Amino acid sequence: MMLCGIFLLTLGLAAVSGSHDEHCCSAEDRHEVQAMWSSIWSAEFTGRRGAIAQNVFHDLFHDHPATKDLFKRVNVDDENSPEFKAHCIRVINGLDMAINLLDDPAALEKALEHLSHQHAEREGVKADYFDYIGDSFLHVMPHVTHCFNPSAWRRCFHRIADSIAHGLP
Amino acid sequence: MKALVIAVLLGLVAATMATECGILQRLKVKQQWAMAYGTGNDRIHFGQAIWKGIFHKEPKTKELFERVRGDNIHSPEFIGHVVRVLGGLDMCISLLDDDATLNAQLAHLNGQHKERGIPANYFDVFEAALMEAVPASLGRCFDQDAWKACFQVIAGGIKSA
Repeated sequence: MMLCGIFLLTLGLAAVSGSHDEHCCSAEDRHEVQAMWSSIWSAEFTGRRGAIAQNVFHDLFHDHPATKDLFKRVNVDDENSPEFKAHCIRVINGLDMAINLLDDPAALEKALEHLSHQHAEREGVKADYFDYIGDSFLHVMPHVTHCFNPSAWRRCFHRIADSIAHGLP
Repeated sequence: MKALVIAVLLGLVAATMATECGILQRLKVKQQWAMAYGTGNDRIHFGQAIWKGIFHKEPKTKELFERVRGDNIHSPEFIGHVVRVLGGLDMCISLLDDDATLNAQLAHLNGQHKERGIPANYFDVFEAALMEAVPASLGRCFDQDAWKACFQVIAGGIKSA
């Protein structure tokens, strides 16, 4: 708990986060999330990555149809098209990058800053959408990972997503 | 005589198999990559090893990375960059057995690299550095022929005009 407070303070996030508990992604959480994630997202298993990525976006569009318009450029009208599949995998590989940087907070911050700029350039991306896709992950992950720990996942996902969404409308 | 012909033919078969990026080579490269790429901090060290190799082989390449602090490969900016590039390579390697999606991804990367005006020979420098870092990370059982052939598929797609 103490560590979490220091961690957030270092990042200058303490002011914007209402509750330390909710936003903290402790060392224990990180290792839990990294273990869950590495068991499903290995380069060896192309089909597995594609299936998870497509299902996350499918869930997002089902619950929040308005988000679909953002992905017209990558052929979202055909969710099985190579363009859209490549897009889904790209997005989730971004998450893979962040999860694997959780142990290096300084580099993580720089990487997330970069992603934040990339998202700010895209018109129509709203901060809320990161909560929506977070929910989609919570729906999909338990189906593919053994011993899914939703609390650890939620805390670390928000640790990542909040930095990307920071500054978005 | 007959035995010699067979031996020569077998030799040719072996030679052709070794130089193409067929489905078997793709599966092997995917597996070896997943092992070498690793997770967490190991992945960062693996990436830094590749860029040490690149900067050593061709110091001028550093100029391309000024924006992300190529002068200090230990800076958070540069590590962030390293994991972005390796994440892109990771996507391509993992898609080696899904041609349609791989080609869509290579087209995307092609656009991103064109904007940066990267000299074509820098891909060779990257390849050379990769061919040293991967076996160093694996320790043993590195299939260089399979790697070279499959790297060409990826680099060729990113460079194509």
